[in-house]
Amino acid sequence: MDTLTTVATDTFIQVAEVWVPEGDRLVLSVGDYNGLTAFEEASRQSSFGKGEGLPGKAWAECRPVVLTEFDGSYFKRIEAAREAGLTSAVAVPIFDEDTLKAVLVVLCGDDDTRTGAIEVWTTDSGGMLKLNEGYYGAAKEFEFVSKHTHFPRGQGLPGGVWAAKAPILMRDLGSGYKFVRASAAGKAGLTTGIGIDVPVPGESPYILTLLSALGTPIARRFEIWDARKSRMGSSGQAALVDGICEREGPLWRDDGDGVNDEAPTATAWKGPVGQVLGSGLPVVSRGGAGLPAGYQSFVGLPIHRDGALSHIVAWYL
Amino acid sequence: MTQKLIIIGAGMASGRALEELLAAQPDGWDVTLFNAEPRGNYNRIMLSPVLSGEKTFDEIVTHTAEWYEENGVTCRFGEKVVAIDKAAKTVTAENGDVLPYDKLLIGTGSNPFIIPLPGHDLDGVIAYRDLEDTNKMIALGEKSDAKAVVIGGGLLGLEAAAGLKLRGVDVTVVHIMGHLMERQLDEAAGYLLRKALVDRGIKVMCSANSKEIVGKDGKVAALMLDDGTELPCDLLVMAVGIRPNVALAAENGLATGRGIHVDDHMVTSDPDILAVGECVEHDGAIFGLVAPLYDQAKVVAKTLLGDDARFVQREVSTKLKVTGCDLFSAGDFADGDGREDIVFRDPARGVYKRLVIADDKLIGAVMYGDTADSNWFFGLIKDGEDISDMRETLIFGPAYQGGEPLDPMAAVAALPDDAEICGCNGVCKGDIVAAINAGATDLAAIRATTKASASCGTCTGLVEQVLGVTLGDDFVIPAAQSVCGCTDLSHEDVRRLIKSQELKSQPAVWQELGWKTPNGCHVCRPAINFYLLADWPLEYRDDPQSRFVNERNHANIQKDGTYSVVPRMWGGITTPDELRAIADAADKYNVPTVKVTGGQRIDLLGVKKEDLPAMWYDLNQAGMVSGHAYSKGLRTVKTCVGKDHCRFGTQDSTGLGIKLEKLLWGSWTPHKVKLGVSGCPRNCAEATCKDVGIVCVDSGYEVSVAGAAGMDVKETELLAKVTTEEEAIAVTTAFVQIYRENAKYLDRGYKWVAKVGLDWVKEQVVDDLENRKALVERFEISQSVYRTDPWAEHARERAESYQPLADLTLEAAE
Repeated sequence: MDTLTTVATDTFIQVAEVWVPEGDRLVLSVGDYNGLTAFEEASRQSSFGKGEGLPGKAWAECRPVVLTEFDGSYFKRIEAAREAGLTSAVAVPIFDEDTLKAVLVVLCGDDDTRTGAIEVWTTDSGGMLKLNEGYYGAAKEFEFVSKHTHFPRGQGLPGGVWAAKAPILMRDLGSGYKFVRASAAGKAGLTTGIGIDVPVPGESPYILTLLSALGTPIARRFEIWDARKSRMGSSGQAALVDGICEREGPLWRDDGDGVNDEAPTATAWKGPVGQVLGSGLPVVSRGGAGLPAGYQSFVGLPIHRDGALSHIVAWYL
Repeated sequence: MTQKLIIIGAGMASGRALEELLAAQPDGWDVTLFNAEPRGNYNRIMLSPVLSGEKTFDEIVTHTAEWYEENGVTCRFGEKVVAIDKAAKTVTAENGDVLPYDKLLIGTGSNPFIIPLPGHDLDGVIAYRDLEDTNKMIALGEKSDAKAVVIGGGLLGLEAAAGLKLRGVDVTVVHIMGHLMERQLDEAAGYLLRKALVDRGIKVMCSANSKEIVGKDGKVAALMLDDGTELPCDLLVMAVGIRPNVALAAENGLATGRGIHVDDHMVTSDPDILAVGECVEHDGAIFGLVAPLYDQAKVVAKTLLGDDARFVQREVSTKLKVTGCDLFSAGDFADGDGREDIVFRDPARGVYKRLVIADDKLIGAVMYGDTADSNWFFGLIKDGEDISDMRETLIFGPAYQGGEPLDPMAAVAALPDDAEICGCNGVCKGDIVAAINAGATDLAAIRATTKASASCGTCTGLVEQVLGVTLGDDFVIPAAQSVCGCTDLSHEDVRRLIKSQELKSQPAVWQELGWKTPNGCHVCRPAINFYLLADWPLEYRDDPQSRFVNERNHANIQKDGTYSVVPRMWGGITTPDELRAIADAADKYNVPTVKVTGGQRIDLLGVKKEDLPAMWYDLNQAGMVSGHAYSKGLRTVKTCVGKDHCRFGTQDSTGLGIKLEKLLWGSWTPHKVKLGVSGCPRNCAEATCKDVGIVCVDSGYEVSVAGAAGMDVKETELLAKVTTEEEAIAVTTAFVQIYRENAKYLDRGYKWVAKVGLDWVKEQVVDDLENRKALVERFEISQSVYRTDPWAEHARERAESYQPLADLTLEAAE
């Protein structure tokens, strides 16, 4: 994996933006609009109250929200989005216990050609995880299968994340996963999946899964950083516990001897992951310094649990 | 000039050795690498994440085809070496090729141990060793409703189970020992691990013995346990250990024991043959974890290079590769004389840490849920550093070293308002202070208003300190009435929490209630053992190790070390045959004293411990069972002769006494329970100084309770007057059960009734008929387990444990 054999130019996610509370409204903190300047401009002029628009809805309802169609919806920037070719969006609220820290919004478009999946899972009355909402682009069969799949605790990517209370990065979605959607995932070309627990106020768990396809990847590099005090002590650092990169191959380091000193570490405020670690907020950047060689954009998503930053999930394109 | 090196086995150890060698001397060696597996070196210990889908096989390959090519290594993968000619210095490959070597390195690894159970050769019975095994497990995930059984609750077995579960397979782990990963974890950490695995849907059966693998059409269908449990499965994974693969070495005349013998330079009994990895035996030890293998690999490379290097065995540590299960274990943490434990538990976060210290050195560490300081502790163990200066704060890790010990009150005063005090209910210091300011000035009021300390109770001390800090001298922190030094909780709190948190094992109590010691002590263990068996009779198994010596040996130890044996005589009634059997036993075992007791029994005093099982056996043969004269349980039911013989008798007191004794015997209670049934108010059975006394009257039965005739003498108090024998039995049974369910361990009935009040007992047992019925039902459920004769079991199964360890009367030959 030393050299990048196929360079995907088309990506599943077109825009990523971070909204932060200011007073009683959410305002744009930072965004990666990937050249969609008109939509960027519309966004900069927007702000959302609690329950207002997509970010406000995620805030008010304390859960990740998937919006697969803007027309006729509560989405506020419909005109600008349409002009930019954006057709759907996912908002992920970042809570630190009861306090909203930020809302990460990602927007997608070209539903018929781009394949991938962004899913939100939560429990049903039987205590199993069922699909709450999902956006699949062109992966229609996979969407159908997902809507009819339940995951018990500990099973499959969502069930595994739920049980582990930690993000999990899975490699071979296309093989093995029996009724756990394998065959459909294989047909859709989905390869790598990352599952993220999204702690929110309330009893119900919410698990976000990003499933990436080769042709229109969500990312070509995924990383999971562990920042828990129970692992890192009072160092304030985070350790790279898993990661995969199309250029560099596996990013994890583990001699398997039980000693945690092989993994690379990140320090607060140093580099893009360090920004997430220091601020506790999602970070979105494009073309900035500090990205790994060959990468243009970065999204870092913090997970707060029990009043502290527990993990950071990062993806790069 | 290059030397010819042949390596047999492309495992992790030989791979690392090759890497070290070629890095030091890239052009010095002409290497041929044989491997029975049809592939080169990969990181075998990372197969588990491949199984779970969290890694791909490509990611764990350590040496690619390109690497071998670049380094000029001739690969002969999928080929075995069948012979070594030490004299000619050649090896013979499977296809007959004979290759010369200057140096030979054997890295044949180990073979998984397969328990030779009936059916072990069925299709679908696999080990967990290589990629083929892993792929079989992955393939099982594609089958709908697939079931797997994993035998072995060690590292590999649990990783296999977790991976299979993630793949959607219904998994049961069957482990022969009492807790998981017993070689790496103590019971407390094993409990937390089990809890985490059960939480992710894995079924775990400990203390479970496999008996047979059941097949159907040549394929595995189920695992049968020795208790008759049948666990259906499509795949059975045996992960019960490994054995060094010494066959090739042994067949070709190299010295072997459990493994291939090597010296400190990793050289075998032949100076030109080295061995490395799981196949070797060094100084009596064999190796399964990776760290020592890497050390060996370095030594192999140095030896081949002609440098002096010696392999030194060192402490190893362990990590379980199951995402979300954070554990660490290193060193020696077995119990032993002169060892001291430091234990830290945080029930709300599921954290357990234990350090074992001997001679001012850290010799072992076990951690679950918080492994942040594991490297530091591991370093202290490896270096054998003197820790006496940091003994007090050692458990808190390196960040806390060097500071002065904090005054706990000062520490609480310094806490910010948002500091969490009660982890269970998420109550901060500020909430408690606000409640105090609003008038909640004692612990009960704080519990009622904020819920702080109302769940697991481990923060009770902290809440009291907040009360103390806020109220100043107005608040006196109550003197601790704790069970013992292992906990700050009272007996009452522990009983309440065992019920409310559904704690069903000792490790669950130690962990969830934040015990300060690893396994309790001689004070708390008997109490906790009783509470658990009283509250969860079907789920909890009585622990003889948590009992006093009398209860363990089912006889009363006397001051000279002999025992007293008292057979049960139901209601004080005996027969000539029973008396003859007792007399025979007294003769046969040279019993010096035979005494009639106050409870209408015959006591055989002065019995030697080793004679107990045989004497019990003889008495059993005569139809007699243990009289439990030693137990915190039902002792005797003393009766008078009743209306059959006595002219004053109003009811059949003897018959009622026998019925009660046959109903209640064998039950464990907080303290001993004695009953008396008198046939009339003249009270010849002295019923009114018993724990339960029944006095028969013309109109029926007067059931009274809470009497005493020991250090304290107290007359019973009337609980109920009833008209029928059935009611008398039901009220008595319900009273015994409510005492079992609520009293503090070692509180006699009269002390307990004084605490809760007779009125409350009456309400529960007499007035509330539904409750009485429920109590009787619960008693009967418990008796389904405990109404058995311990003598019979011990005489049958455990006679050897009563034999002296050595015969000290024998003298050594001069």
